[in-house]
Amino acid sequence: MDLERDETIERVAQALAVVPPRDAQAVSRVMAAVRAHKAQRPSRLTLVMEWMRQPAFSVASAGALAAAALVLGFFSRGAFGNAGSDQSARSTLEGQPTGEFPIVTGGVLPASNSHEVRAVPVPLVFDARNAKSVVVVGDFNGWDDTKTPMVRYGTDGPWTATVLAKPGRHVYAFLVDGTTLVADPRAPRAKDLDFGGDASVLMVTPP
Amino acid sequence: MIFIRRCAAVAALAVAVATTASAQQDSRLTLIRDDATREVVRQQLGGALSRGVPVEPMMAKALEGVAKRASSKSIKAAMTRLEENWHRAAKALAPNPTDDELSAGADALQQNVPESALRALRKQAPGRSIALEIGVLTQLVARNVEPGQASKMVLELMARKATGTQLTALSSAVQEDVEAGLAPAMALDLRGRGIMSLLPPPSAVSTLNPRSTPRP
Repeated sequence: MDLERDETIERVAQALAVVPPRDAQAVSRVMAAVRAHKAQRPSRLTLVMEWMRQPAFSVASAGALAAAALVLGFFSRGAFGNAGSDQSARSTLEGQPTGEFPIVTGGVLPASNSHEVRAVPVPLVFDARNAKSVVVVGDFNGWDDTKTPMVRYGTDGPWTATVLAKPGRHVYAFLVDGTTLVADPRAPRAKDLDFGGDASVLMVTPP
Repeated sequence: MIFIRRCAAVAALAVAVATTASAQQDSRLTLIRDDATREVVRQQLGGALSRGVPVEPMMAKALEGVAKRASSKSIKAAMTRLEENWHRAAKALAPNPTDDELSAGADALQQNVPESALRALRKQAPGRSIALEIGVLTQLVARNVEPGQASKMVLELMARKATGTQLTALSSAVQEDVEAGLAPAMALDLRGRGIMSLLPPPSAVSTLNPRSTPRP
């Protein structure tokens, strides 16, 4: 047991047990320095602005940034701007798709794709023997008169096209010779409270 | 690290600029030949996008007006109404409406379907698209069926797990009956009862098939 009572260790222990007096002035100096440092610290906005202003771009990094911006700008333009609706349409007969299948666009308001439903093909027929051209326009193709031109069946037959529309209620019409909008005589009339005019209702059933 | 941060900042800026600019530089604007109308539509698109409404339905409404030879004033008014209805539909169909549901909802509100009816439909089927049901309700109201009666019938059929085909059949049948001269309320009652006679009552649906998946 005596071996464990080392004299040196006991002296060190006694020395450490004495707490030195606290220098109040030193403490206040440290705290003042901390407060001053905090007050001088620039805001996040200032930091961001300084970061953006720093002319530290190398030629390579500037080029890469420009390329990235161009690519992203290009794709985002395609996705948000020039896309049609998420439903499309195409002319049929002779198997010649003339419409395009545009990029699906997303809404900015809360939207979820968890219960999206698929569009189904719906054939449309329209008798207009004297027409030079007939186009289907409706909410399923964004009322775009370049998307769904109809095809004449034979040389003197009716005009036909197949549109892709999601289950639900749709409004559409036929644009004859690029000037006259005509409702589909085979479908119920749509009551348009915005513009009036001729249009029809298409109720699409899920497959 | 600094390089990556700068890339992210530039990319975010590019996307934001392109998104806003694309609404105002949509190539379909060239389909609008009248300069004044095109400018009105361009401004409406930019404003709507900044307020959270996607470009597609707004552009479709504008082109519909153009196809119907509406004035720029009418097109502007229609786009403004659509934007308002889009926001109202988003609230009524919360929390996660699809764009199809929002389009159908805005259309329904335009045809004087009340927001409470949309909320009731959403409550009945919170986990799947109800664009079809909204469309059927809208068409019934458009055929002069009273909105309360129409929404009650659609809700009843949904509770009994009516299929999409049955719902659209109801809409078509009522349409034909009304055109044949039957009163809208009577047509809906008759046709609705006919379809319901083919379906089990709501309690039987939930008891027999408690974990049945929603109708596709």
